[in-house]
Amino acid sequence: MKTKNNKDNTGSQPYSNPYLAGLLLGLVLLASFVVLGAGLGASSGIARLGAACSLWCFAPHTLASEYFGKWGDQPLKYYLVFMLAGTLVGALISALLANRVRIQVERGAKASVRLRLGYALAGGVIVGFASRLAQGCTSGQALSGGALLLTGSIVFMLCVFAGGYAAAWFVRRQWHD
Amino acid sequence: MTNTLYSLDALGTPLAFFLALLIGSGFGFALERAGFSSSRRLAGVFYFTDMAVLKVMFTALITAMLGLSYLVALGWVRLENIFLMPTIYGAEIVGGLLFGVGFVMGGWCPGTAAAGLAAGRMDALVFLLGAIGGSVLFNELFPVIGPLMTAGDRGVQMAYENLGMSRKAFALVFTLVAVAAFWLAEWAEKARMGRGPYLGSPFLKAFSVALIAVAAGLFVLPGGGAGMGQGAPAASDEKALLAKVDQAGDHIEPEDLADRLMAGDPDLVVVDVRPVSEFGAFHIPGAINVALPELADALQPHRNKGTIVLYSNGMTHPAQARDSLQRQAFDNVYLLTDGLQGFRDRCLKPVSLRTEPLSAAAAARVTAWRAFFSAPAVSAKAGVAAAPASSTKPRAIETDRLAAQLGASSIKIIDLRPQPEYNTAHIPGSLSLNVESLRGNVEGVPSMLLPTPMLAAQFSLLGLNPSDTIVLVPGDKFHDANLAGMAFERLGHLNFAVLNGAYAKWDQERRPTDAALPAVTPSSFPALRDADRFTVGYRTVASGLGKPAPVIIDVRPSDFFSGKKSDEARAGHIPGALNRPYTEDVVAGTNKVVTFKPLDALAAAYARMIPSRDTEVIVHCRTGHQASQTYFVLKHLLGYSNVRWYDAGWTEWAARRELPIVNEAQVENPAK
Repeated sequence: MKTKNNKDNTGSQPYSNPYLAGLLLGLVLLASFVVLGAGLGASSGIARLGAACSLWCFAPHTLASEYFGKWGDQPLKYYLVFMLAGTLVGALISALLANRVRIQVERGAKASVRLRLGYALAGGVIVGFASRLAQGCTSGQALSGGALLLTGSIVFMLCVFAGGYAAAWFVRRQWHD
Repeated sequence: MTNTLYSLDALGTPLAFFLALLIGSGFGFALERAGFSSSRRLAGVFYFTDMAVLKVMFTALITAMLGLSYLVALGWVRLENIFLMPTIYGAEIVGGLLFGVGFVMGGWCPGTAAAGLAAGRMDALVFLLGAIGGSVLFNELFPVIGPLMTAGDRGVQMAYENLGMSRKAFALVFTLVAVAAFWLAEWAEKARMGRGPYLGSPFLKAFSVALIAVAAGLFVLPGGGAGMGQGAPAASDEKALLAKVDQAGDHIEPEDLADRLMAGDPDLVVVDVRPVSEFGAFHIPGAINVALPELADALQPHRNKGTIVLYSNGMTHPAQARDSLQRQAFDNVYLLTDGLQGFRDRCLKPVSLRTEPLSAAAAARVTAWRAFFSAPAVSAKAGVAAAPASSTKPRAIETDRLAAQLGASSIKIIDLRPQPEYNTAHIPGSLSLNVESLRGNVEGVPSMLLPTPMLAAQFSLLGLNPSDTIVLVPGDKFHDANLAGMAFERLGHLNFAVLNGAYAKWDQERRPTDAALPAVTPSSFPALRDADRFTVGYRTVASGLGKPAPVIIDVRPSDFFSGKKSDEARAGHIPGALNRPYTEDVVAGTNKVVTFKPLDALAAAYARMIPSRDTEVIVHCRTGHQASQTYFVLKHLLGYSNVRWYDAGWTEWAARRELPIVNEAQVENPAK
């Protein structure tokens, strides 16, 4: 597997102006508020996949559990699962249009694939856990709740940055070139 | 004004799934355009090498915030129609810090990892698998960390309210902070990486000015939009208030109020500020009684949501109260023109007593108002406004729905908690009822639901009418609400709802309460004798034994079903009965909050036990109490059409030694 950083060599187009991309993202979020009456969300879809896996392995235990049990035996019949599927589709369309689809493990040139994937896995577990605890992730809490000016969401966003900056130095090796 | 799928309770429909898929596609497209399909770019924000995360996220946040503020101010969208997440400091601080650590480690967050996966990033796939695992881990650890989930739960909190600012002032400050952050981010990139294409560029200048201008534009919008927070007192607000007084824009005419009350307008909060004694003697039906000193606290949940109407006998007290509320940032308070006297003269005075001539249409309106407001019992017969009530089915109601309808004259809330708890605090307007008073010894069998006339007599003393929507509020025993529901059903009154989450949820969400005893005018609740076609006796149950139908469901705990435990004449169960403990149908959350399990989970569980929706089913427990919950679930939540209730239950069955039983545990019968 080849790795390389983003703005490169192989004919892929540069990313959009971040402010205009942000504007587009903001309008999508606004549409979500007006049409669905709820913001964007990604971690719920992931947690529902977790519930489906758990159900597939140990159905009685999952149905009896306090958290996943509330979602019943068809946890995937939920609008945020469909939103997650849509996210994949939309991103695929954009990446194809810009010729940016590359099978790769993104990392610093001096970092090993193993190191990078190890961090990705550990980070994923922590993020999966933390977004259930905080009832949302960067999409559902920080972005959507922040736009609604909810106190807890803004506190969450500040804590995400605080946690990120505090830990950044310790995991920097994966990006060393 | 648009309804959202959330406000229509339709987020679980195929339409919502389809729209979520579309919106998700827009989300994914925007993320990928922004370059968020690259973990290196995302992580860059934590090393000041690539600040795209900050730029994109804050631009999106400000865009949506300003867009929503405009839509709300123009009255096109209501904030109540949008799901607002509660602020739970413990969970959000700990969760946020952990999340940040995971974010910088993994180089992804959930939404961007989905975009990354679409662009072929294998580290995104690994991250997503980790996040699925993290969710499962959370579920497994939930019993241990449950208390953290509710630590510092403050309900819905708006940041600007916590800071004592108006919404628009906060929005402007937030926009200024974001613009400053954009310039700092550009400067940081230039300083560290030697490139900052937007620093000082005409684009960024124009973009910054545009954002600030749009935020400042909120101040020149008409302030009349419902649901917008007005500011702390300021000279301009005082001016606006005086202008409103000048145009009598702060008044509501009695005729308008009467029409809106008759239409059952859920956004209307009518407040009687007179002393309790006067309120008790007469008040506008649907009004709540609040003493002046408690006004601001009591009305806090309705601040800038819907319409608050104050009235007294005259106009002076309400006007002074309105001014005070306006200074406390209430922008939706109106006065009833000419007060209660005006309401009486202009709406309730019979046509025959009026000196002024009335057109036929006006006379018909007066007649309709009189029928609706003078005596509730009369209004039901006249069929005005409350007409669809009697055809309404029993259901579960969520706390936010009840909160929105609080104060509506047709809603009667019945609090089933023990009296000391009721006396301390209850949902405003609640009537207290001890559910045990609905049961007694009937022909030798204890704890039977009382006969029709006795139930009707009790409901009459509570001042209930057939046109009322009854909301049953249980306490620690969630199924109390279902037993009370059986009493209403026995009288043919199906327009009742069970508060999902019990009183504990209302309390946990810090919704309004008071400790006043409501004013009750005794009524005469009709005692329909043939409405109860669902209660069956032991003969009916016994005659079905050995046949494929009915399905008998014993809802007692499994130890009692098996016969391992017993506190009755005999241990065990009815031959052929299935066991589904009533506790399986609910989720007991933290702080005594109990809710029904999701319908799909319930439907799936019962589909395994009952062949079809019209199969005859008989539910029972020991005394009929627990089985009333299963009855409600099957009949009203899941729509099984042929459900019966064996009220006498195991108490009677065990004591009648001629009836067959099965004892799996073979416990020695203590009575022998």
